[in-house]
Amino acid sequence: MSTTREHPDVAPPQADRARVPDHPSVTPPRAPWTLVMAREIRVRLTDKTFVLGTVLTVVLLLGAMVVPALLGGGGTEYRVAVTDATGAALVERAAPAVSGAPSMSGQEEVTVLTEPVADRSAAEDAVVEGDADVALVGADGAWEVLSDGEPPLRLTSALADTVRAEALAANAEQAGTSMAELTAGTVLTTVDVGSQDGAMAEGMLFVVGLGFAMVFYIAALMFGMQIASSVVEEKQSRIVEILAAAIPVRHLLLGKVLGNTLMAVGQMALIVAAALVGLTFTDLDVALPGMAEALGWYLPFFLLGFLALACVWAAAGALASRTEDLQSTTMPLTMVLVVAIFGAINLDGVWREVASFVPVLSTLLMPMRILEGDVSWWEPALALALVAGFCALTILLGSRLYRRALLHTSGSLTWRRALRMGE
Amino acid sequence: MLELQGLTRRYGDHLAVDEVGFAVPDGAMVGFVGGNGAGKTTTMRMVMGVLAPTAGTVLWQGRPVTAADRSRFGYMPEERGLYPKQPVLAQLTYLGQLHGMTATAARARSTELLERFGLGERLKDKLETLSLGNQQRAQIIASVLGDPVLLVLDEPFSGLDPAAVDQMSALLREYTARGVPVLFSSHQLDLVDRLCDAIVVLHQGRVVAQGTSEQLRATAPLRYRLTTTGDTGWVRGVPGVEVVDLDGPSALVQPADEQVAERLLVDAVARGGVREFSRVVPSLSEIYREVAVS
Repeated sequence: MSTTREHPDVAPPQADRARVPDHPSVTPPRAPWTLVMAREIRVRLTDKTFVLGTVLTVVLLLGAMVVPALLGGGGTEYRVAVTDATGAALVERAAPAVSGAPSMSGQEEVTVLTEPVADRSAAEDAVVEGDADVALVGADGAWEVLSDGEPPLRLTSALADTVRAEALAANAEQAGTSMAELTAGTVLTTVDVGSQDGAMAEGMLFVVGLGFAMVFYIAALMFGMQIASSVVEEKQSRIVEILAAAIPVRHLLLGKVLGNTLMAVGQMALIVAAALVGLTFTDLDVALPGMAEALGWYLPFFLLGFLALACVWAAAGALASRTEDLQSTTMPLTMVLVVAIFGAINLDGVWREVASFVPVLSTLLMPMRILEGDVSWWEPALALALVAGFCALTILLGSRLYRRALLHTSGSLTWRRALRMGE
Repeated sequence: MLELQGLTRRYGDHLAVDEVGFAVPDGAMVGFVGGNGAGKTTTMRMVMGVLAPTAGTVLWQGRPVTAADRSRFGYMPEERGLYPKQPVLAQLTYLGQLHGMTATAARARSTELLERFGLGERLKDKLETLSLGNQQRAQIIASVLGDPVLLVLDEPFSGLDPAAVDQMSALLREYTARGVPVLFSSHQLDLVDRLCDAIVVLHQGRVVAQGTSEQLRATAPLRYRLTTTGDTGWVRGVPGVEVVDLDGPSALVQPADEQVAERLLVDAVARGGVREFSRVVPSLSEIYREVAVS
């Protein structure tokens, strides 16, 4: 398109309006791209498949996290059958040690109950019948734990510790010394120097990082495809010529890309919010403070990474002339995305560090590295600057391809041909 | 006023539009005629800015047209289409807004036009549920939304039923009455003849004739039809008279000028039995055929 606003000061609408007096409807117009953006959003929000899909995702996500927590009743309960008060006292003293035991997913609540029974045979019955998990029988110096099969390790080790401590204390007293004297200097303290407040376990890190990557991957593919199909829909229905005559093509592109980006970010925010709410129902919420920083970086990476791809998707849509062609014009893009994303997740060491600066891949890898806590402040900042630059480049290239291919309605174009085409 | 100056478009080696120049004065309706592939659509696309010219300029009110000007041009492309899955009123409102109207004004104007075209009951229906004729009507409305200062319509009458043709003609006349210039292309030459103030004939990318229909007719050769009761073959011998067609008692002749024509009539009366001697005014399609061939 060769014309621009060359003489904005001599535009004639005043004179025209005087000549056409019975339609006083023309006021300073809204920027056309805002109208296009509003339409994209409206169409998406009135699309039943989209709304239903979003609601379903959120419900499933919340359900997956909340339901087990509700059903689990929060924590484990052990019942120990005892035959007398001495046994009961031992179990009670052992109980705090059982609760304190760390589980895989953080601090699990454990309660230990005593179940008084008449004698040893009653205790055996209780264990076999399942009324008690284990039974503590015997007397000082000859304690036994009865179980049906393998007893819970943390319960038996806590009981063993308590029994040993009791015996040691008694023995020490007989030998004329005390427990404190006996055990002085025997404690080995471990200090985790890499750990910060709310740091997460290794496995948890990987899951959260993968979650970030998957949300971006799905949004990039789903909304990217949506941009491409909304472009081709206008080509296929031929309305594009009316639109291109009414407003500059770059406004059409801008509105489309921004509208869909807003929807993508909105949907992502909703899903992440649902995930966070769900997390508070599980025992994993201690990990939340550690995620805050990574989440803060994830958002701009997501936004720029998405924008960088959006214009390329629009160009892919413009290359097709019917929905049926979309498969072939978007294929190169989809392939590159899939290979890049799954390749990036499996990277290690230096390569992973390098890849975390590569635009689009940085959206996946940098938040993961921030989660792991091994980045200096300038690293995400540099990666963000790089993706912003890349974004500007793809917008330039994408909009050029879009403009050239948009009015080419007979058959689909190849990427190479569109790049060589004149305006 | 819309003016085209030396507008040219080249596709590789093919010259689709070759130095086309003409004007559409304010309030005038100009018909754009020519065969398929003559370059009408390409020319109109360049006027609307959806296609960049290889050379030449489009002037609006005497200066090169801008994007701001074009947002107030009404356009009906050759390839029709609206959003099939969007309700009629909603998408017309959107198009009106793209042309600079407020949402309220665009909705009011769209509703008014839809009612006028008999679609008042279908405002909320999706476009694809309308009959083809009604979709055409929606398309017409789309082209005149937003208080246009110029209308460029590519084959606006093709596919319309007679009632819609009349509604469309009336609508166009309203715009020209307000001073809006209208340029439309058509294959229906009788319609062009009836509606247009001026005609531009395009052939193989070049303007081969233009002017009002009277002007075009004036360029046509002077012809008379002579019918007598006997054999009219004698006209062949009359000096200065060219016989175009002769069929027994009736002859179509082309005298060199009016004097020759008068002498011919005197001769005929002297021979007796004159039934008809009349000036033959060519129809537009006849003129068109002649300029297109030559």
